[in-house]
Amino acid sequence: MTLERLDAQSVARRAAAEIAPGSVVAVSGAWAVAAADLVPEEKGVWFLRAGGTLSDLPINAADAGAALRGGHVDLSILTAAQVDSHGSFAGYHAADYPGPQGHAGLVDLASGARRVIAALPHIREDGTPNVVSALSFPQDGARCVDTIITDVAVFRVADDGLILTEVAPGWSAEEVRAITGAPVSVSPNLRDMDFDLPPGRPPSKVYADGPGAIADLPDGATVFIDGFGGPGGMAHYLLVSLRDRGSRNLTIVSNTAGIARVVSFGTPPGRTAIDHSVLVENGQVAKAIASFPVSPSVSRPSEFELAYRRGEVDLELVPQGTLAERLRAGGAGIEAFYTPTGAGTLIAEGKESRVIDGREYILEHGLRADFALIRAHQADTRGNLVYRGTSRNFNAVMAPAARVTVVEVDEIVQPGELDPEAVVTPGIFVQRIVRRPDGFTGYE
Amino acid sequence: MTDDKERLDRAIIAMRVAKELPAGSCVNLGIGIPTLVSMFVDDESVVFYHSESGVLNCGPLADEGSEDIDLINAGGQFLQSVPGMAYFSSVEAFAMIRGGHVDVTVLGAHQVSATGDLANWMLPERGVGNIGGAMDLAAGADKVIVAMEHNDRSGNPKVVQECNFPLTGRGCVSLIVTDVAVLEPTPDGMVLRETAPGWTPEEVQEVTGARLIIPDNIAEYEV
Repeated sequence: MTLERLDAQSVARRAAAEIAPGSVVAVSGAWAVAAADLVPEEKGVWFLRAGGTLSDLPINAADAGAALRGGHVDLSILTAAQVDSHGSFAGYHAADYPGPQGHAGLVDLASGARRVIAALPHIREDGTPNVVSALSFPQDGARCVDTIITDVAVFRVADDGLILTEVAPGWSAEEVRAITGAPVSVSPNLRDMDFDLPPGRPPSKVYADGPGAIADLPDGATVFIDGFGGPGGMAHYLLVSLRDRGSRNLTIVSNTAGIARVVSFGTPPGRTAIDHSVLVENGQVAKAIASFPVSPSVSRPSEFELAYRRGEVDLELVPQGTLAERLRAGGAGIEAFYTPTGAGTLIAEGKESRVIDGREYILEHGLRADFALIRAHQADTRGNLVYRGTSRNFNAVMAPAARVTVVEVDEIVQPGELDPEAVVTPGIFVQRIVRRPDGFTGYE
Repeated sequence: MTDDKERLDRAIIAMRVAKELPAGSCVNLGIGIPTLVSMFVDDESVVFYHSESGVLNCGPLADEGSEDIDLINAGGQFLQSVPGMAYFSSVEAFAMIRGGHVDVTVLGAHQVSATGDLANWMLPERGVGNIGGAMDLAAGADKVIVAMEHNDRSGNPKVVQECNFPLTGRGCVSLIVTDVAVLEPTPDGMVLRETAPGWTPEEVQEVTGARLIIPDNIAEYEV
């Protein structure tokens, strides 16, 4: 074989051509990291790297795992040693295999991302193929690779095997097939490798106003509404925007179901806070999932309690810590978990329970939503958030668990103006940003 | 008859509870009498107060006119900003509770049973209630102390043999401090530990729904 194979930098360029502006990409191994380094800042791509960074944000292992498992990563690019025709891969040669502890991160990279690319040398120094029918090295992921990029070709992994879609300049399909260890079918659209980055910039997350940011919030949606109970940490402007939009039959998930209007909870003297009541009295709420749904004062019932007594709304009561953990689980790709909270009470009725080490636990399920309407103090244009004081509470927990998280902030700043060490919610969990209008107080 | 016997006031209950907080412990105080407890903990004990609203090392309440809506406790009261505070999300606030990092919680109650079942989130006649953090505290805190009046406004006992209100947790209460006694629920039943000044064990039994186990050496309620 006299044909030149591509050098590592060219393979990285081909892999980088798969990275869309604004996407979230996890990278592992030398070739994948080299691909990340080729994508310029203005493409607005979030790179999750081994060792604990999400672009320029420090991130701990639990948050990195949650980002992957919670479905927040669009693409994983991993540098493999061997891939088979079903898309299973080995991260290491058998001789270099670090053991299950050493490669644990690869398993999350492979199973959590929406799409997985494996980059690897097509053959080893002795000519043995690395793209094979069956792995001979320890497997790190089963049937998870969608695209294989080597130094001679690009394959799509289809249900019935490998489809050759691109060849390196100067190579023919037959020449690739000759050094591949698995059957290969050739795409009718076979072409030379394309090394150009996708054009364009990421779409802006900043919306001009609240109504625009929730214009597609549909009837029947599940909506997270932030705040502990008082006006601190509550997205009043988005609540009013949702009232004006009029979406109906909503399931709202929140710590309370609107108590600030009827009691002075967290509200300065002489003020009446806008809360969930604006949605309830407008007939938009079908159900609340909450821990503190009604007024602490029997003599001052909230709109929600009155509607509940009239039989107009359903209520699912959840202990506050279980609510927080259900939200965390929803955002981190955890379907369900066991907790002792509520065992032996009304909360346990109808739920699976089991005794572990002599203590009773009940099974609680993760919560996800179509929209989250949250409140923060500052956002940068990439969606990184900083909160104030006790107004962080449920905001930071809800952001990762919704399909569309809309944040209402006091101030929008440019990337670089927030200290990465101070960012609580990384921008991959925030899709839309609205600044609270000047003069809007959140009080009636 | 015990109807007109003098009972201790709420502040005295809080003072008695304060004695139960070990120096250096992490403490969560519920709403009502429990909130008063911090007034009687001396500064040298360095108790760390935790609130579900997402703050550790809460200090005193804010002065009128300097309320900050971004600095509240779990009861919706405004806090002063004090050195050493830490803010966190609801997940971390409850990891502290559920993960056993809160040493003591002091809660109010509607009923406590002889074996330490707690009912404090719903009055049956209302048909709906607020759980808030109570079930997590009942399940997760190392020690659950109930601070409450011994009887409700109609005179019904709140220390009962079995709760008939909806439960917050089973067997979770380790000590009860009321305006007439200090009691300890045990797997064998409710043990009377201390009586308020002027009360005999028999008089405490008269206003209590649970059968009391009365040891020989009953101490007088000491603050």
